[in-house]
Order: sequence, then structure tokens, then C-alpha cells
Amino acid sequence: MKLLAATTRYYLALTTLLFVLGSFGLYYGVEWALRGEVEEELQARRQELIEKVQAHQLTSVAVLQTLLVISRQPKPVGFSDTLLLDAQEHEQVPNRQLTFPLTVPGEGTVWVTLRKSLVEADDLLGVVLAVMLGVLTLLLGGVVLINRWLAGRMWAPFQHTLAALRSYDLQQHKALDLPTPAIAEFAELNLALTTLSQRLVSDYESLREFTGNAAHETQTPLAIMQAQLEQLLQIPALAEDDAAAPLVAELYGATLRLSRLHQALSLLSKIENRQFAQAVPIRLDQLLQEKVAQLTPLFDARELRYGLDIASGPVIVQMHPGLADSLLQNLLQNAVKHNVRGGEIGITLAPQELKISNTGAAVGGDPSRFFERFRKQNAASESPGLGLSIVQQICGYYGFGIDYFITEAGTRHTLRIEFSHTAAPLPKRNAEASRPTE
Amino acid sequence: MKLLLVEDEPALRRALFSSLRQAGYVVEEAADFAQAEEKVMLYQYDCVLLDLTLPDGNGLDLLRALKSQGSPAGVLIITARDALDDKVAGLDLGADDYLIKPFHLSELNARVRAIIRRRQFQGQQQLVFRDLLVWPELAEVHVRGEQLTLTKKEYDLLLYFLSNPGRVLTKEAIAEHLCGDAVDAADSFDFIYTHLKNLRKKLQEKGADNYIRTMYGVGYKLSNE
Repeated sequence: MKLLAATTRYYLALTTLLFVLGSFGLYYGVEWALRGEVEEELQARRQELIEKVQAHQLTSVAVLQTLLVISRQPKPVGFSDTLLLDAQEHEQVPNRQLTFPLTVPGEGTVWVTLRKSLVEADDLLGVVLAVMLGVLTLLLGGVVLINRWLAGRMWAPFQHTLAALRSYDLQQHKALDLPTPAIAEFAELNLALTTLSQRLVSDYESLREFTGNAAHETQTPLAIMQAQLEQLLQIPALAEDDAAAPLVAELYGATLRLSRLHQALSLLSKIENRQFAQAVPIRLDQLLQEKVAQLTPLFDARELRYGLDIASGPVIVQMHPGLADSLLQNLLQNAVKHNVRGGEIGITLAPQELKISNTGAAVGGDPSRFFERFRKQNAASESPGLGLSIVQQICGYYGFGIDYFITEAGTRHTLRIEFSHTAAPLPKRNAEASRPTE
Repeated sequence: MKLLLVEDEPALRRALFSSLRQAGYVVEEAADFAQAEEKVMLYQYDCVLLDLTLPDGNGLDLLRALKSQGSPAGVLIITARDALDDKVAGLDLGADDYLIKPFHLSELNARVRAIIRRRQFQGQQQLVFRDLLVWPELAEVHVRGEQLTLTKKEYDLLLYFLSNPGRVLTKEAIAEHLCGDAVDAADSFDFIYTHLKNLRKKLQEKGADNYIRTMYGVGYKLSNE
């Protein structure tokens, strides 16, 4: 519910309640005042009669009887309500009556009843309610209208801020630039948000710089280590030594692993930093053929049968060449790595999607977790487990959809990449993979 | 064969220097852009190994200078992995090849050899190693006058060995050479063994000596003794 709708709702409820109470109060108040007025008038007439009796100006009772209600029998004395038929309007009309004894000289005591119609009270109620309802309607309508107007006008800076926040992207390395509206609360909000975004940007920048520097500085020592170890292996005395050579070789292998890990991590951080702006049309079918040819020895070594289906013709995707290469490399390598000896790899490229499926050991668990960093099926594996994370990041970067599903009792893994997926911003980690649909 | 090695990192330069010297090249070093520029102006080289990120300049400018001089030297660009776009620019400017750091020294040897071969003899050179005769341009191998039929990978493997005679080639370097970048599955070294076994068998069938030696736990070596 909108803030304004919520406040309006409370306003309306309160106003209606007050109006109902006010109407009751007014009605009873006016009626009470009116009744008092009628009673006063009746009292005044009684006084007049009594005075006339005392002054002996009163006409005889017989004459009086034509004008007043007079009884010779005792009647309850005082005010009371009664209903009388109105001769003109032919309906029962409420009346207030005052009965009192009157001693008329020569004729003894008679009981006089004075009456006055209360019919005005009903009319009054009608008028009161009509006026109140009219005012209520006008007021409620007015409240709603003014709120609408406020929503459009007074809240405009807020809507503007909201839109700016919604489209805010830290990766553009720019702080928010919000105006200072006239309304103090919004001005304060905008100021706080601008400060926050400035801090975010500077933190992000320094983190990015740090990552970049760390990556660059690590690269050189790694290259030196690798080169020197290789040179060490060229020393005949060492290479021929059955004890020393494997040690150096292991050290060399570990250095290579470290530098691969470093490459993968810096690639990931570069994708996250959106440092691959340049995109060119890539012939994915050709690249795929190249990659498969390159990896054929790997397939052969593990006795894998593979099928490459690119019969649907040239597939062109706008990508950075380095990322396209990395994507296919990681996908294919993943299909080899998690395969079983003598298994299969199926690669199908269509204009809209790339599907790579492979046989593998039965695995349980949520396929979306396979995209987690450093996730390994086999903890002892030498690979750092970043391949699918890289695939996911690249797909997220270009807004491709990824599906990972496992069929045939967990032994066939299929990864599908959909090129024409809606161009979405970089997805949250692990959020992109979805459950099988079959 | 005279090479110019332009690399600012001293330790890496030393390693490259000794490796290239072992491979039989005359190597001169330049630690920065200014030194490199001076040497390029004064001397002729067969191949320039050029690191693109130098403390006092961009290697690409040196490449431009070389090309505008009409230098016959081949250029091998050595670039950091995060400079993919530099690599493309370098090739566009007329560099012969590129290597991404970190690389295997044996791979460097193979690339340099290929560049020099292509440059100096327009590829029409034969490689001779003991009783082997190879025409790289034709991808033909002869053992004692008899032609040897090899698969593409076996041929690549043999050529890689021939580019690094007497040098220990690690399994990792061979795997990357055959399978491209980033072959990180450890058990993928099986395939080297398979290809090597086949190559050795074919060589032996033609009566060649067994000059590919296994270095236990390390890799292989083309023995020239």
C-alpha cells in the first residue's frame, strides 16, 4: 500500500467517526435546546394564564375550553410527551404538553393542559444530517484530492530519488548526483544517499585497485618462479637425480597450478569489474570447432566419444574474444573433467543456445551449487573449481541464461546456455541456475 | 642467430637469457625502453623478444619503430595476461607471434625457432637432427631417407622436441603445447604418454635411435648425445 493511501485511509476513518459523533451530538444538542425552548414557552403561557386568573380577566371555563384542553378531573401534573393527529398533515405529530391545576374563582379547580408541537425537531434532524453529510462528502473528497495532488507534486523529489537509486550501478564508478529539493526531509535523504554512494564508490575503487595491483604484482613473481624452476630442471646433475628431480617437478607443477588459479581469479574479478567492454561478433561455431580440435587429445586420453553438432549454420554472438574463448574452454574442460572413462560428450550449437552434455558419476545436490567458487566434486582434485563460476560470470555479463540439469539417474549432466536471454545485469552469485524442467 | 631480449624484470630476464643461450642463440638484453631503442637502432637482430609493459615506455612503440625502420627482425611479443587488447594491437602492428606470461621456456624456444625459420628461409628450410630430416613447411619427416607417417599431434610433438634439443621438457609444457592453453586436469598427462609411445614406436620401426628420453617424474628430453 502506498504511504499516501495508508495515511488517507486513517484520515478518512477518523473524519467519518468524528462526523458521526458530531452529527449525534448536534442532533441531540439542538433537540435538547429546542425542547427547552418549547418548555419555556409552555411555562410562559401557564404564567400568563395564572396572572390572568389572578387579575380576574379570564373568561369563563366554558369559553376557555374551546381554546385549551381543560379537564375538571385531576390529571398528572407536569411535562410529558404525547402524539397528536395533525389535522392539516394527517399524521401523528409529537407534542410536548404541560398540565397544571388552575383555580378559577367561582368554578373551582380545573386541570389545564398546554401543548406545543415538536414537529420542528424532526425537520431539524433532517437539516442537520443533510448539512453534515454534505460537508463530510466535500471534506473527504477534498482530502483525497489534495493527497493525490501531494503525491504528484510534493513527493516528486522522492520519486526522483527512488528512480535514481533503482538505476544506480556501482560498476559505473560514479556517485549518485541527487538534487536538493525544497522539502527538508527529502533534502536530508538525498544528502545522506549521495554521501553513502560516494563512500561506496571510493571503497569499491580502492578495492578494485587493490585487486588489480595484487593480481599484477603476483603475476611477475609467478612468471619468475616458473621460468627459474624450468631452468633448474635443465641442470643435468639435478635432472638425473632420482630424488631431486621429482621434487623440483612437483614444485614446478604447483607453481603452474598457482598461476592458473591466479589467472582464473583475476579473470573473475575483471568480469565483475566489467573490464571487457569491447565486444565483437564472434563466430561461435568456428571457435567451438577450434576448441574441440584442440582438446581432442584430452578426449582420446580418456576414451571419450564426442558429438559436435553445429549443423544449424554459423552462429554469431557479440562478445569479447577473450571471454568467448574462456567460456568455451571452461565448458569443454568441465565436460571432460567430470566425465568417466569411456563416457560421452555431446555438444549442440543452435542459433539461440549452446548445449553441452556429458556422462559423469552420479551426483546429488542442487545443481545451482556447482557454480559456487572453489566447488569441487572431488576434494582431492587439482583443479581449483572455478571453471563453472567463470562460465556463470561470463553468461551473467552478457545476459545469457544458464541451465544445469542432471538426468538419467544423475549420470548425465547438461549445461545449456541461452544466448537471447533478456539482457540482465550481473546476477547475484549462485542465483542464476535453475532446476531441471523435465 | 642473434636475439634481443627486452624485459624489465631482472630475475625473469636472467631466466630467459640463460634458456635462450642454452638453445644456442646469441642474446643481448635490454632492461627498459631506452636501452632497447638504442640497441634496435645500432644493431641487426634476427628476433626481438618484446615485453610490452616497460617502466619507461610501451613496447608497442618499439614495435612501431622497428617496422618503420624496415627491420627484418622477427618480433615475439611477451604480454601479461590482462593485456589481451595489447596482444591484438601488437599482431596488427606486424608482430610475428605472442606469448602470455607466465609461459614455458621450452614454448618460448619453439616459438622463437619458428619465427626465425619463417623469416630467414621463407619456411623452405629443413631441420636435421641426427638421422631425422624434417621439412616444416611440408610437414614431412624422413628417417634415414624413408618417409615417416605421423598424425598431426605426433608431428607437433616431434617438432616441439626438435625445437628444444637437449632440453628437459616438462609434461605440463608438452600438454599445453599440444592442447592449447590451460590444460589443468592432472590425468590429462596420460595423453602425452600415449602420443609419445606411438611416436617412439614409429621412429623405431624406421630404425631411428631412441633419442627421446624419459626423465623420471619430470618429463621428456630429446637427447643429442
